[in-house]
Formats: sequence, C-alpha cells, structure tokens
Amino acid sequence: MDKLALQLREDAEKIDAGISAELDARLAASLHGVKPESVRHPQRESKSFSFWWASSLTGVAAAALIIVVANLRTPEPVPVAAGTTPAPLVAGTTPAPLVLPSIEWNTKSAVLTSPLEQEIDNLQSDLKKAEEVVKQDIDRLF
Amino acid sequence: MSNEAALIEAAKNGSAAAFTSLVFSYRERLFRFLLTRTSSFADAEDALQDTLINAYRYLSSYDSRWRFSTWLYRIAINNAAKLKSAGTEELGDLHDEGNDPLAHCIAASDRENLWQCARRQLSDEVYTAMWLRYVEDMSVNDISAVLERSVSWTKVNLLRGRKTLDVELNKNATDHKSKAYG
Repeated sequence: MDKLALQLREDAEKIDAGISAELDARLAASLHGVKPESVRHPQRESKSFSFWWASSLTGVAAAALIIVVANLRTPEPVPVAAGTTPAPLVAGTTPAPLVLPSIEWNTKSAVLTSPLEQEIDNLQSDLKKAEEVVKQDIDRLF
Repeated sequence: MSNEAALIEAAKNGSAAAFTSLVFSYRERLFRFLLTRTSSFADAEDALQDTLINAYRYLSSYDSRWRFSTWLYRIAINNAAKLKSAGTEELGDLHDEGNDPLAHCIAASDRENLWQCARRQLSDEVYTAMWLRYVEDMSVNDISAVLERSVSWTKVNLLRGRKTLDVELNKNATDHKSKAYG
C-alpha cells in the first residue's frame, strides 16, 4: 500500500462514526413498520386471435388507401411567372448544356495549410504520448 | 450458501431480525461515509435511516451478482444526493465549520485530515470513488457499478483524485517540516 492510500485509510479511521444508543433504537424502530416488497414480474397478456386478425386487416386497409390516394393525385401544373413565356419544348431536340461559371480558387490558402498540417501532426503525436503516459499510470495503480 | 447469502434470503422472506444482522456490520461504515457527504449530523442520521429502510423494502431487487455492499452504497449515495437536492446545503451549512459533521467527528490532529481536503477539492463523484477505493477496498468494477459510470471513467478519475490529494499530502508534509524547523 502506498503512502497516500495508507494516509487516506488512517484519516478515515479518525472520523468518529459510532452509532449512539439513541440512533440504534431509532433505526430499529424505523425498520419495524416496513415490509419488504416482493418482485413483481409483469405478466405478458396473450393477445387473442381476433386481435391479430383485426390489426392485420386494418394494416392492409391503410396500405390500400395510401396506394389509391397516391394514384388519384394529378401532377400540379408548374406556375409560370407573369410576363414570361416558357421556352417551347420541341420533341426530338436536346436542351443546351448548362454552363457553370468558373471559380477562381485562392492559391495562397493552399500554401498556408502546410505549416498547419505540421502543427496538427505535432499535436497528435503529443496527444499520443500523453495518452500512453496516462495508460501506464493507470495500469501501474489499478 | 454463505452466511450473508442466507441472511439476505431470510430478509427477503420478511425477517427483520435477519436484515438487522445483515446490515449490522455496514451501519458504522455507511454512517462514516454519510457524515462526509452530508451537511449536518442530523442529515447523516436521516440518510442512514432512509438507506436501511429502502434497502429492506427493496431487497427483492438486489442482484446477487454484485456484492451486497455495492448495492447498499448505491442506495446511500442516492439518499445523500436527495438530501442535498432538498436544499439543505444551500443554507451554507457545509461551509460553516461549526456545523460541519466531518469537522466535529475528526480527532484533533496537527495537520488537516485528507478527507476534508478531498471534499474541498474533488467533485462528489470523484470523492466517492476515492472513498470506496481507499476506505472500502472496492474493486474498480464495483466502484463503476456504484457510480453508474464506465470502468475507464472510474480509472481515470481515481487517478485524477490521487494526483490532487498527492499534492495536498506533499504540501502538508512541507508545512509540517517548516513548522518543525521554525
């Protein structure tokens, strides 16, 4: 046992926690009127056959209703803004390819990441070392 | 079947005498612990009484895979926490040296009791973990069960608690030496 553990034990023993006769009587009296509760195991109620039959029927009906409602729905026309005429779609023609504006990347930021990456590597290796030290301490003590 | 297991079985069947014998050896240990966790002597007594009543009432829920003391401490910690949340400590009792049960019960010494330092410097959970480890000799697994924490959390926080108290212990030793040499 190391010095700290020994000291903690000794100091705990210095705490006087004697049960007085008064407290003893009080504890005995308080237990007198108490009854231990028995464990209640919840009983599984068995469901009747008609319950399962009714619930499956309800499920099938709900699914059928959803399918019917989904099929009845007609597609809404796309609203056209006033004053504009939508481009006519001619069968057999393909729309012109979409031209995206080119983005000019800032090349300077890419240059700056290199020292930061180095810093992250350093921090990660420090963290690993610290973790190993803590693990060793824990294994040694417990 | 061990003596404790036989007493537990008898108490589960409603024997108050068996329960009294079962908890007899734990009462003083629990009371010592509760004195350090509550703000007054009366609170510690109340917490002990509630712990024993709850233990007796809900003994049927005790799982024999765990040590009985582990289960008992879990109840005691809950009761101490209940008293704390009831607002008794907001009255400032704990900081009032005259009302502090720990200060009352500690035999006069030339240095501060480490458990007083621990209560000042550690969180409730770490304090409890340290107590269970170094006073009750509980295993890390049992402590994590009492605190409802993971084993790794318990290990790391025991280490932290140790480091904090090690500093206090060394400080006490230095103060003692400097006093001795004037």
